[in-house]
Amino acid sequence: MTEGQNDVDSARTLAFREQVEPEIEVMLRVAMGLTRNRPDAEDLVQESLLRAYRALDRFDGRHPRAWLLTIVRHTHLNMQRRKRPDPVGDWDLVRDSRPAFGASSQPSAEDAHLDGELSEQLSDALSELDPRFRAAVVLVDVHDLSYAEAAAVMGVPVGTVMSRLSRGRDRLRRRLGPQTLTPGRFA
Amino acid sequence: MKQSLRQMITCHWSARRIQRYLDADPSAPLTPGEVAKIEAHLAMCEKCTQTAAEHLALHRALSHWPGVPTPDAESVDRLRSFLGHLPEEDAR
Repeated sequence: MTEGQNDVDSARTLAFREQVEPEIEVMLRVAMGLTRNRPDAEDLVQESLLRAYRALDRFDGRHPRAWLLTIVRHTHLNMQRRKRPDPVGDWDLVRDSRPAFGASSQPSAEDAHLDGELSEQLSDALSELDPRFRAAVVLVDVHDLSYAEAAAVMGVPVGTVMSRLSRGRDRLRRRLGPQTLTPGRFA
Repeated sequence: MKQSLRQMITCHWSARRIQRYLDADPSAPLTPGEVAKIEAHLAMCEKCTQTAAEHLALHRALSHWPGVPTPDAESVDRLRSFLGHLPEEDAR
């Protein structure tokens, strides 16, 4: 390889790193929802990063997270093409997972409410949701993705995400009720 | 009678936009006029204010919800390190 080629590779790698590095954690979180286990999720992200690197010349530089999540979804479908794809945010993975690391060891009273009784009721309510609504709610409210990013993961238009999100949230809100969500308000 | 009908229509109109108002997502922004109309309605409608409070509480509960797996730091580090080897991987 020539010195000039090395320079081109270095510049390309640097540009790619700047765009992609901040998104690795969210890619991994979404990949865990798709694959249902940590080693497969890491493999999926690694393969997606390689595909993204090869496609960098076709990327317009806008919305890198949505671009990367689209690649994660396509790569996953490709890797799973001989198996039935799992719905995003599979419930077994969510239900069996351990609590987030780094959680505060001394939660505030409000956090204690969120982590305790409300958290349990929320788990039950989420488990009863239609998987399509649950996926939209988990991607936007739990993983904090934008509508467009969630649409990229789900492979549907933004309007469909909005509709599923709205219906999912409304069902959760009604299922939990004001006494659980806003205790003491308007007493 | 007229006033309560108008109130009902505005409640219905607001209910259809309250989530977009709270999310403020760049993919589906409300117009400044719609934002002003919702805010004016919330200032005088207890029912819609309660709905907005419940949506906010639900979002907060979901964003704190411990039921989703979190990537471990080692995986993130390995993938960051992988970024530095992409040219070699690409050449394989």
